Amino acid sequence: MIKYTEHTLSNGLTVLAHHDADTRMAAVNIVYKVGSRNENPKRTGFAHLFEHLMFRGTKRIPDFDIPVQEACGENNAFTGNDYTDYYITLPAENIETALWLESDRMTGLDITEQALEAEKKVVIEEFNQRYLNQPYGDMWMLLRSMAYKVHPYRWATIGMTPEHIAGASLSEVRDFYRRWYNPANAILSIAGDIPEAHAMELTEKWFGDVAGKELPPMQLPAEPEQTEARRLEVTRPVPATSVTVAFKMGGRLDRNFYDCDLISDLLAGGASARLNQSLIKERGLFSAVNAYISGDVDPGLFIVTGHLLPEVSAEQGETAIWDELEKLKSVPASDYELDKVKNKFEAGTIFGELNVMNKAMNLGFYKMLGDMALLNGEIDIFRSITAAEVMEAARSTFRPETSSTLIYHPENRQR
Amino acid sequence: MTNHTHNRPAIVVPDKISICQPQSTVLPNGVTLHILNCSDQDVARVSFVFHAGTSFQTTPFSASSAANLLAEGTSKFTAQQIAEQLDFYGSFYEVSLDRDYAVITFVSLLKFFPQTLETAREILLSPAFDKKEIEIYCNKRKQRLAVERSKAAFQAREIFSQAIFGNDHPYGVSYPESLYDELTRRQLFEFYNKHYTAENCFVVCSGKLDASAQAMIAALAGNIPRGNADSAAGFPKAHSVRSRYKKYDGAVQSAVRIGKLLFPRTHPDFVPMQVVTTILGGYFGSRLVHNLREEHGYTYGVYAAMANLEHEGYMAVATEVATEATEDAVRQIFVEMDRMRTDLVDEHELEMVKNIMTGEVMRVLDGPFGIADVTIENIQNGNDNDYLDRFLETVKSTTPEQVREMAGRYFDPETSTTVIVGEDPSGGSFGLDR
Repeated sequence: MIKYTEHTLSNGLTVLAHHDADTRMAAVNIVYKVGSRNENPKRTGFAHLFEHLMFRGTKRIPDFDIPVQEACGENNAFTGNDYTDYYITLPAENIETALWLESDRMTGLDITEQALEAEKKVVIEEFNQRYLNQPYGDMWMLLRSMAYKVHPYRWATIGMTPEHIAGASLSEVRDFYRRWYNPANAILSIAGDIPEAHAMELTEKWFGDVAGKELPPMQLPAEPEQTEARRLEVTRPVPATSVTVAFKMGGRLDRNFYDCDLISDLLAGGASARLNQSLIKERGLFSAVNAYISGDVDPGLFIVTGHLLPEVSAEQGETAIWDELEKLKSVPASDYELDKVKNKFEAGTIFGELNVMNKAMNLGFYKMLGDMALLNGEIDIFRSITAAEVMEAARSTFRPETSSTLIYHPENRQR
Repeated sequence: MTNHTHNRPAIVVPDKISICQPQSTVLPNGVTLHILNCSDQDVARVSFVFHAGTSFQTTPFSASSAANLLAEGTSKFTAQQIAEQLDFYGSFYEVSLDRDYAVITFVSLLKFFPQTLETAREILLSPAFDKKEIEIYCNKRKQRLAVERSKAAFQAREIFSQAIFGNDHPYGVSYPESLYDELTRRQLFEFYNKHYTAENCFVVCSGKLDASAQAMIAALAGNIPRGNADSAAGFPKAHSVRSRYKKYDGAVQSAVRIGKLLFPRTHPDFVPMQVVTTILGGYFGSRLVHNLREEHGYTYGVYAAMANLEHEGYMAVATEVATEATEDAVRQIFVEMDRMRTDLVDEHELEMVKNIMTGEVMRVLDGPFGIADVTIENIQNGNDNDYLDRFLETVKSTTPEQVREMAGRYFDPETSTTVIVGEDPSGGSFGLDR
């Protein structure tokens, strides 16, 4: 349970504050409502590249990290499909250093040609390290381009190809900054041993005179309904065959999202969950299995994935996954099993609220979603899901015609 | 104009950390129970720390397998029943294993803590090491290890351990995954009976624990059977080699590890060397990050850290760099180490690093469980919880001269170890014959 105060400044900046008297740390989180879904399809990966550039200094403060570190702080950021999140944690006494830095880079970013070129190389190395130089590293890229044909979720946050990053220009950087980095498109949240009223005063002090700008409406193409099963088989230097099946599911504010979240826990939430017990333990087909949801704001993906043991064929693995999905459609989950995943969800939610950084991030996330009631309300939603609803959701979600299947076959090449 | 009329805020550096001391009790079987009762949140955690890390194993994979199979069935319950009990109450169960210790941790909501401890008792005191479960586990782990070993970075880590300690050294050795096939139930019991004993164990719990919860933990910990304490006698000396290279077909990056054998964590140079390593590569914006990432764009990340074990310790730089930049990246890492040996560190930079280290300690302590982790580490090193303040005092008193002296003593390129896994653009030499 996170208590908070909310306020909107005259320039449109939304501010949320939570007072936590049990800690000496404070967290300042800022969400900009822009992610890879807002990119030009010819310049994918740009939102993430831009996030890197936000650490490259402003007219007034040439290095962002140094003042944070001098204030005993730590900072980082991440870019998703839907939004970009920047956070700083530091001793509560130094909160104003964080506000000073964030207000400064909301308008004063100063990127040189040289800084852009160096950062492009860094991001391309990130692309290499995380997506290309890893077994199965391109799984999400392949899956997205198969499951989505129109919606920008068809590319991963890192981008479709390193060339898109390499081609980014300084004028594109400036346009993107002007378009999206604007108090009216941002949510600032503060958690720590700072009374909420004081947090609001400080926010007014540091952000009150940042100029607000008109926010052009955001338009995203809707993904048309998928009507036939899609499939991709690739051969790669990987040690084991892997099978992944992805299904379209509801958006983050849709009731179906919670149904699917709960189903993913029935399948893979803990050692007692179905996939582990059935596919690894009883049937001895997989060495690792998982089921999870992508968690996107717009309709996302429900993923079931696993690595097969050496003697098992891809077809056997795929059939075994479908056996479990069919069971969800035809046999109601017991009260015991539903209680189990609901208890687990409750504990997970509480464990996730134990430090100021998570609290500040949660505040920003739910505000970005546009429904603050969810901040402390998701446990109740989970508790309200019935066995009949689970079956209904399984039937509407796990349909072959809305599935995308990706198989990795090992190449006879060891490295 | 925006907020530019406001000047930079003043900075406060907290001087004391002052965390609470555990209440420690020696139970009749010799296990010491440390209770941290200084949290207000309705959660509880207990960690059982056993001197049962991988360096104690004489049979390949027996240490990790014993730890990981504790919960896979007990004398009374099947593996599935145990898993159900933990999952039903939303309890979090974790096994963490390093070279010296196995730490078995249970975390739960306060209201389900008694039920969680019931299951903990089963797991810790009467594991079955069922044959069928061992077989499933070994098949699974064999495959997962093969997946890990197909990553250049993982290969580099394994080869670096071999290179720094020695191929057969308990801290350095790695085994082919096929040896999972030979692991037997008897070997697991042997390891368990020898190392999961009262003499090799201490317990740390934290959260809002009332008297009855504390009594339950004491009853469980007091039932850990007696045996023999592990002996450090005969622990072999480490022998490092200068360089190892492994080809990785089609790599777009090379995994690079450069380091040097140093000392165990009780050594007097431990704290000043922490400062030195942090300056070199312990934070975002460190000298290595500045050089390799920001200036050259060779890498997404580069780190330097010390690993300090019970009998040995080392410093290592780790990075993945563009294949064509490998040679220069290695050169730049040595340039940065050398610069620390010859030039005095700038006062501002040193001050900032000290503040970073202060902030790090405070950050670990945020939330009810960080204090348990810190307490465990302090106990392992023979310290009480006042150690943190002493640690920070030593950090804060470190001078530029001391930094240079430490770097001079320990960053000797003639005795360092370089490991590269990647596609070699220079045809096998990589300039490694330095």
